[in-house]
Amino acid sequence: MTKIDLFFKKNLDSSVLFICILVSFLLIFSNDSQRIQNIRSTTLDTFSFLYKPFNWLDNQIFLTKKLEVLSHENLKLNLENQILSSNKIENERLRNLLKFRKRNELNFIGADILSKGVNSNMSSVLLNRGLVDGVDNNSAVLSSRGVVGKIVFVSDDHSGVQLVSDVNFRLSIKIIPSETEGIMRWIKSDICEVVEVQTTSDVQIGDVILTSNLSLYFPPNLPVGEVISIYKESNSSNKVIRMKLFSDLSILNQLFIVDKEG
Amino acid sequence: MGFNFSGYLFIAIILQLMFAELLTINGFQPNIMLLFIILSSISMESASRATIIGFLIGLFSDLILFSGFYLGLSSLVFSICAYFASQVSSNFAYRNFDLYWLSLVFLGTGLYSFFRYDFFFFNDILFFLKNWFSIALYTFFVGFILTRILGVKQSVLEDA
Repeated sequence: MTKIDLFFKKNLDSSVLFICILVSFLLIFSNDSQRIQNIRSTTLDTFSFLYKPFNWLDNQIFLTKKLEVLSHENLKLNLENQILSSNKIENERLRNLLKFRKRNELNFIGADILSKGVNSNMSSVLLNRGLVDGVDNNSAVLSSRGVVGKIVFVSDDHSGVQLVSDVNFRLSIKIIPSETEGIMRWIKSDICEVVEVQTTSDVQIGDVILTSNLSLYFPPNLPVGEVISIYKESNSSNKVIRMKLFSDLSILNQLFIVDKEG
Repeated sequence: MGFNFSGYLFIAIILQLMFAELLTINGFQPNIMLLFIILSSISMESASRATIIGFLIGLFSDLILFSGFYLGLSSLVFSICAYFASQVSSNFAYRNFDLYWLSLVFLGTGLYSFFRYDFFFFNDILFFLKNWFSIALYTFFVGFILTRILGVKQSVLEDA
C-alpha cells in the first residue's frame, strides 16, 4: 500500500493525466449507452438557451440573403409543381388502371437549426424539435431540396442530426432510371461517392439518386442528389459513382423530419 | 493584472458559440476552447491541476457546447494539451510564447482530427491532412488576433 502511495506521490502529474485519458476513453467507448444518452439529452435541454442569441443573430444577419434564395427556390418549385401536378394525375390514373397498391404519403415535422455544433468540422446539427413533437430516433431528415441526415439522439425538446457529411454516415440509394442500387458515403463539401455498384449497370451522368427501398430508416424515393462522374476501380468488379447532393450543407436553416407515426 | 481564468473562460465560450453559428468557413471553425485551455495552462504551476481543469472543460464542451457525438473526445484532447502546456518553464514560455501555443494547438487539432477522421487517416491521408491543417490554420489565425487584442501574453507570463 505504501509503495503504491509513494509511486502516486512521485508521479502525481503523470498519474492524473493517465486517469483523465482512461476516463475519456471509457466515455468515448460508452457513447451508445442509454445512461450517457440520457445525460446528454438532459444537459442539451437545460443549456439550449445558450445558442438562442447567436441563432437569432444569424437569422438577422443573413435574413435578406435567405429570403432571396427562398424566393428563387419558390419560383423554381412553382414551375416544377405545375408539371408534376399534371404528371401526378396521369400517374394515379395509370396506377388505378393497373391496380397498384396506394403509396403512403409522408408527413414532416418542420424544425429550426438551433446549433451547428461546436465541432471543428460540421457533422451534426441540433434541432429545436424533440420527443414532445413526435420526433423519433433514426428518422430521416431533409432540407427543402433533399436528404441531409438522420436523427441520432432525441431529448424532450431537442434532437441531434447526424449529417450526410459525417464520415460514418452511410445511405442505401438507388439510381433512376436504371434502378441501380448502391451505398452512399460522403467525400467532401457536397460531393459523395456511391460504391457497390455493379459494372454492368447502366448509369449515366445526370441520373437522379433517390433513397432505396432497402433502407431500414429512410423511406424510399426521397431525393438525394445526381450523378456527376462514373469510373471503374482497378482490381474490382464494381463501378464507383461520384454524385452531388441536392442539398447545400453549408446553408442549412430549416429542416424537415420524417414523421414515422404519420 | 494576472490571467483572469473565469473572465477568459466566459469570453472563450461566447467566441466559440459565435464562430460556430456565424463564422464557419467551408464548414471549418477555430477551436477556441482548445486555445483557451492551452493558454490558461501555461501559467499553471501544477500540471495535475491543469490536466484536471482541461478534462473538466473538455466535458463541459462535449456536453453543453454540443461538440458532436463523442462525449469524452474534448476531455481527452484538452487534458493532454493542458498537461503539456503546464510543463513549460516560465523562461521558455517568455522566449517562445507564440511558438509554444502554436505547437500545442497543432497537436490538439491533430488529435481531434485523428479521432474525427480516422477513416480518412487510413484511406485518404491527403484529405485527412487537409482537414487537420484547415482547422489548425483557422485556429492559429484567430489565436494570433485574440492574443494581441486581449493582451494574453502579458497576463499569462505575469502569472507564470
